Amino acid sequence: MTAENIIGKRIPSIDAQEKVTGRAVFGSDLVFPGMLYGSILRSRLAHARIVHIDIARAQRVPGVIDILTGADCPTERFGTFIFDESLLAREKVRFAGEEVALVVAIDRETAMEAVGLIEVKYEELLIVLNPEQAMLPGASLLHENHAQNIAYEVHLERGDVDAAFKSSYRIYEHEFATSMVHQSYLETTGAVADADSNGRITIWAGIQNPVGARWAYAQALGVTPDRIRIIQPYMGGGFGGKLEPKLPALCALAAFKLRRPVKIVQSRSEEFMAGSPRVPIKYRLKTGVSKEGRILAKEAYLIGDNGAYTRWASAILSTAAYRVDALYEIPNIRTTGYLVYTNKAPTSAFRGFGNGQTHFALESQIDMIAHDIGIDPAEIRTLNATRPGHTNVHGWFFRTAGLKECIQKATESSGWKEKLGQGRGKKGIGIGCCVHVSSNRAYKKEFDGAAAMVRLDESGIIEVYSGEADIGQGARTIFAQVAAEELGFPFEKVRIHAVDTSSVQFAWGTFGSRATYVGGNAVKKAAEDLRRKVLDYAGEKLNIDKSELNLRGSFIITKDGKQWGLAEIGFNYMCDHAGSYLTGFGHFIPDSAYPDENRYGNVSGAYPFGAHVAEVEVDTATGEIRVTNMVGVHDIGRTINPLLAEGQVEGGMAQGLGWALLENMVYDEQGRLKNPQFLDYQIPTMMDVPDSQVSFVETNEPSGPYGAKALGEPAIIPITPAIANAIYDAVGVRITDLPITPEKILRALKEKKGDKAKREEL
Amino acid sequence: MKLIELRVNEIGYQLWVWPHETLLTVLREKLGLTGAKEGCGVGECGACTVLIDNEPVNSCLMLAVEANGKAITTIEGLAQGESLHPVQEAFIEQGAVQCGFCTPGMVLTAKSLLDHYPEPTEEQIRKYMSGNLCRCTGYTKIVKGVAAAAQKLRGGK
Repeated sequence: MTAENIIGKRIPSIDAQEKVTGRAVFGSDLVFPGMLYGSILRSRLAHARIVHIDIARAQRVPGVIDILTGADCPTERFGTFIFDESLLAREKVRFAGEEVALVVAIDRETAMEAVGLIEVKYEELLIVLNPEQAMLPGASLLHENHAQNIAYEVHLERGDVDAAFKSSYRIYEHEFATSMVHQSYLETTGAVADADSNGRITIWAGIQNPVGARWAYAQALGVTPDRIRIIQPYMGGGFGGKLEPKLPALCALAAFKLRRPVKIVQSRSEEFMAGSPRVPIKYRLKTGVSKEGRILAKEAYLIGDNGAYTRWASAILSTAAYRVDALYEIPNIRTTGYLVYTNKAPTSAFRGFGNGQTHFALESQIDMIAHDIGIDPAEIRTLNATRPGHTNVHGWFFRTAGLKECIQKATESSGWKEKLGQGRGKKGIGIGCCVHVSSNRAYKKEFDGAAAMVRLDESGIIEVYSGEADIGQGARTIFAQVAAEELGFPFEKVRIHAVDTSSVQFAWGTFGSRATYVGGNAVKKAAEDLRRKVLDYAGEKLNIDKSELNLRGSFIITKDGKQWGLAEIGFNYMCDHAGSYLTGFGHFIPDSAYPDENRYGNVSGAYPFGAHVAEVEVDTATGEIRVTNMVGVHDIGRTINPLLAEGQVEGGMAQGLGWALLENMVYDEQGRLKNPQFLDYQIPTMMDVPDSQVSFVETNEPSGPYGAKALGEPAIIPITPAIANAIYDAVGVRITDLPITPEKILRALKEKKGDKAKREEL
Repeated sequence: MKLIELRVNEIGYQLWVWPHETLLTVLREKLGLTGAKEGCGVGECGACTVLIDNEPVNSCLMLAVEANGKAITTIEGLAQGESLHPVQEAFIEQGAVQCGFCTPGMVLTAKSLLDHYPEPTEEQIRKYMSGNLCRCTGYTKIVKGVAAAAQKLRGGK
């Protein structure tokens, strides 16, 4: 493999061999000498005051070392943006599954046995499960300082929506609802934590934002962030659900108290009950269009179901309030949104981050509009598509925007024109599009971007230090490619340093589809810096003008073919500087703005786009839906690694298919989750997902590394509405609330038949 | 506790186990073979797959005592030193690995499939392996990986 021109190549991940051999160590695989095991007592009630916790019998179980309760936690609450949570319940429990006590014992079985012997006396409180009901005056209150259970709200207005409606050719009003679904990463959340005699804590856990998580964890533990070191092992998926998850901090609480290593691994049912599922959003959408189908006005009213604690849900609501508006050029917008507490699992970030929910709504409705006006659904999207050079009403600037090209490529390669409307009541084809961000500055005014270091050691090896975590998506490989390309260094020899918060610099984390755009850019700049330093030093050492020198392979070379090994240069530098290594530093700050008090401002440096086409077959006797084909086309600026990029889209489409058709977390009236297992919570299997075709449009975003934009989240967004639209094309029924089940199809078909019969009677 | 004998990756072990301990727990915690993973604990996800007499088994559903006297292959036993099994090679080359948590189970199930059906159709691959869940890849490249491995095993490239 030559060192140069490695950008754009189909390269297998550098850690694939570790994984196929089973050598890769995940958090739940770690074992330390003297390690203790934790097991959690969880509330079986959805809303109750804790009157008394009796741990006497549990304490007497041989092998139990300690039992922690809310009394062991700081009085101040913690959280990401809203501080409403405690590691163990204090005073109240607010959802069934909430952590009430932690037993630490010599092994897991002993811990579990003791958990069963803890007696908690509760005083039950009224439960609210529906966010709209929870908002009503007099509804049972979860958090005393949040009136009407409203955790967060958004109001924004652009242009003149009412005038635009008045001048609209037609106005459409629909209500959409998305479901509570779980990330269902294969590796459940687990952690090992330890604390030394000075109270310095180390956590080993699969966390998407290991460096950033220290802030929330410090607050949760009542220590300063410098006391916490996080080391990230291999991670079995995250999809947003492992952004500063609670469990590692709870583990650290025990380790800190006991000054011994403690391991806790959640079971799959615990993961479902007490994880951070997607924020269900009810979206009332009113859209006014011109005769040609151009969107003139958009008015939206959102209610987000916060569950019992906020975590990242307030940012999800913010995102849901305006990100979908970037898909089309819409001049007049009014949006009102509320995030409401309910006695269910604390909802939070899941791939798409609120943008997926609102795309389901808009991309379903624009299809309905197309059918009503009599325009091809692909054409109405092309007509309204955001164009490069556009600045939208929120102040977002699209330096590159390949939406039209994505739609064109997706429809051409799927045979759209031939198949649309030709399914004879059985088959259908549908399209969905999306826009997203590449990192964004909507969370913290002071911060957007990434930093990295690249080091040349005394044996001529390049090592990259970045705190942006690889959560299974392949960031390590991308960073290695970038470093290899910049330095002309053999790709297979580049090392990626483990994400250890003691060694890497600050990193905001892997979410918001940031890793390649900001992380990759930072690695590129750090590599550029190292290159300069290496050539400067080599030039001095060899007494050659540095402009005559270049890097290729593991050598420094001159134009006339003289060469010196990088190992030799690295060794000499190290000796000349008594051990210092040649190190390049770099950071990338995107051209992004923190939204002002009207939520106006260009939040991201680059916006990726995508279009998915889905084909379905519907069995009108049983209502069953089979997805027979999926085509995905994404504008990601520049494809650094097509093999990995395809994998992202193929995986995203499968997840979006599950969201559309198969998955739903179902609660009973007591607020207990009825299906906390893969038995009754169906994620797509190999039998459910068809082969898919994925391709890319390259718009060469100038601000991105080699022109790249984000892909991680766009990968999942368009397919869900595309499937809904394909079902409409097949059987003429429109399901506006997820999941689209056979029961809903049959009911809708029956109603449609009934309506038709009534019309024929008349 | 009961004394059992397991032959794991060609090595014989004598182990004291509790009657209720699963094979998965014993492999991971007593033998340190952490390649087999617990994804769900109820036999739905296949992350705990090991091969017993070359048949894929959900080791989270098998009691260790049930495995007494059996020959077990875990992912750690598939490669011969530095020499990877063609399924492992194909998975790497085809991009069939993302987070890697489902991978040991997938690879073993694929190996067993190809031993039984050297020229599987795509439908056969998907049906045989439908008990192995993956949340990252969408399965497309896994299926390609299995097909590529089949070709390697038949002597192709």
